[in-house]
Amino acid sequence: MPPTPPTDAELDVMIRVRLASLGIDLDQLPAGTDPDPLTGAPGRDAALASLRSFVRGTVGTLAGYQLPATAGADAETADALSQQHAPMLYPSISTEWRR
Amino acid sequence: MANEPVDRRVDRRAFLARSAALAAAGAAGTAGAIALPSAAGAATTATTAVTTSAATSVAALTPARRAPNLDQPNAYARPRPEAVADPTELTLAEAAWMIRAQRLTPQRLLEAYLARIGTYDTTYQAFNVVLVEQAMAASRVAGRSRHLGPLHGIPLAIKDNYYTRGVRTTANSFLFEDFVPPYDATPVARLTANGAIVLGKTQMGPLATTRATTPAGVVTTVNAWAPANPRVDPGGSSTGTATSVAGRMATSGTGTQTGGSITAPSNAQNLTGLKPTMGRVSLHGIVPLTYTRDHPGPLARDAKDAAIMLAAMAGEDPQDPRTQGLPPVPDLITAATPVRRGGKVSLRWRTRIGVLPGFADGTSDTAQARKAYLTKLASIPGVRLVDVPFPEEWDLLTGNEFNNVRLPERSEPFMPYLRENLPGFGVSVLGWLQGALLGGNEFLTGQRAKLLLLERVLDQIFDHCDVVVQTGPVPFDILGLPEIAFPIGFTGAGLPIGTILGGLPYGEDRLLSVAAAYQAVTDWHWRRPADPPASAADARRGDTLKTRRSVRAGAADPARGRLSADEVAATTQ
Repeated sequence: MPPTPPTDAELDVMIRVRLASLGIDLDQLPAGTDPDPLTGAPGRDAALASLRSFVRGTVGTLAGYQLPATAGADAETADALSQQHAPMLYPSISTEWRR
Repeated sequence: MANEPVDRRVDRRAFLARSAALAAAGAAGTAGAIALPSAAGAATTATTAVTTSAATSVAALTPARRAPNLDQPNAYARPRPEAVADPTELTLAEAAWMIRAQRLTPQRLLEAYLARIGTYDTTYQAFNVVLVEQAMAASRVAGRSRHLGPLHGIPLAIKDNYYTRGVRTTANSFLFEDFVPPYDATPVARLTANGAIVLGKTQMGPLATTRATTPAGVVTTVNAWAPANPRVDPGGSSTGTATSVAGRMATSGTGTQTGGSITAPSNAQNLTGLKPTMGRVSLHGIVPLTYTRDHPGPLARDAKDAAIMLAAMAGEDPQDPRTQGLPPVPDLITAATPVRRGGKVSLRWRTRIGVLPGFADGTSDTAQARKAYLTKLASIPGVRLVDVPFPEEWDLLTGNEFNNVRLPERSEPFMPYLRENLPGFGVSVLGWLQGALLGGNEFLTGQRAKLLLLERVLDQIFDHCDVVVQTGPVPFDILGLPEIAFPIGFTGAGLPIGTILGGLPYGEDRLLSVAAAYQAVTDWHWRRPADPPASAADARRGDTLKTRRSVRAGAADPARGRLSADEVAATTQ
């Protein structure tokens, strides 16, 4: 049974804690939703709303993606990525290197 | 038995590939790969401590050299009569012909641009600084020195995320607003080593994220085709370069592309923009947005000009490992030279052009232009149009979520700034915070997905064709594959319509050959926007600009509108 999706409040805590663990204090942004009139930086509530959407969308989609098994892979290990191609930072360059 | 030790037989490129794959985060620290102002300052401190001359260390950091294949007959084009009358109308190849034939001096060409800048750039706001005195001095030197090739004495607009020695390089951000680099970015050094003149630095999207605004989001640069309407998108983030070239205030210019930042402004402003393959042009000395996907390239007036620019910019750079171990740069200028067989324009190489489903469907102006474009292409001998499918999971693998895998590459090198000055990111801050939230697992899944996408593109598209139409720039940005943007028509409102063609790795020559042939049988790329209204005072300012040392952009006008952080996040590159 999948875990219950986090609430907005829980995500806010997660986002703040994650950023704080990196040394980033979201309270540098102005309170509320209005942007800083001088810098255009968003209010922290607006930033949190955007970041919640990012976590639910991008993080969830990437984490939930199952790459197709390599052709001929053993069905029992097909779910694992450990025997698939190593990830590549620069695909176009990698094609040249692999020639 | 081999007659040399095993260390001489190890495939170093394969070792590099494995290292890059397994140490994704570590690659960010590879020497020379990241150009952040603080790092540049540290490098300068270190090098100047052990040398007596900062210039010596700068020379060591920035390899500049004459480009092979650059100074050749195909790089020069006899000018059209209307262009002879107005030097700002000349293409780069035409201006090169005029200068080599001593019918135009570099100084005269520069003064013509300065006159237009002084008259019209208060409207266009394409430049954030015009280096009048420096450019005038360089043009005088060019006028009396040995001819260096087609870029000799050619004034260029340089996007403000390229390091320019001794000249502020801000990437249009609060973070770097006072940063003065100690050296030129490698592409700038290569352009100037081949005779080009840095005319000025251009307005860009804040930290290369969206269309040009101030770092706080106030719209600055307008589309040269609709100068009275700031809501008309000029394309981003290489906006200022595009407007400067389209508005005939520079011969050509440089941009960078992470998610459409060369092709979009080129298409929006009737230019030919070339985003080369990842690694083809060094990123050394360019403020990074996403170090696996940033591509430096030219925004030019036609395919030949783009080829000349790229021929100078491209090639291996010891300061950027992404450029190493790649195929040599081919003769791009000849590739961009149309050929005629039996008196008819023909493709240089027989080429299968892939057409994706739905590319020309509908009745919109764009659809009509695309239909006419395909018809015209098909009429060129050597072209064969072939229908190609979208590869499996195309929408998912090229969609927003998988595209976002680039975002940690923003946050990781910018961590000191994120800790100390979050508001300093201005209207662009959300992308950097998003990147900090993406975990390693998801990042690696995204890297695997890129490779899967590339294999599907190679197997399911390029098995059937040599180049392929693009419905947007992002898929080939994700993969680091080359793309060329060029004009194919106009809307009913008189705004340019462009298209993008994508190629195989290092296939810039093929892309240029197709664009050049199309441009030899059409005239869209010759059309220029009408000048915006100018007062007598504007014209006087234009006449006197050459007496100034430098000119900075004026204050942004809030009446042009303002982008919010959410809007920037939605349009970010």
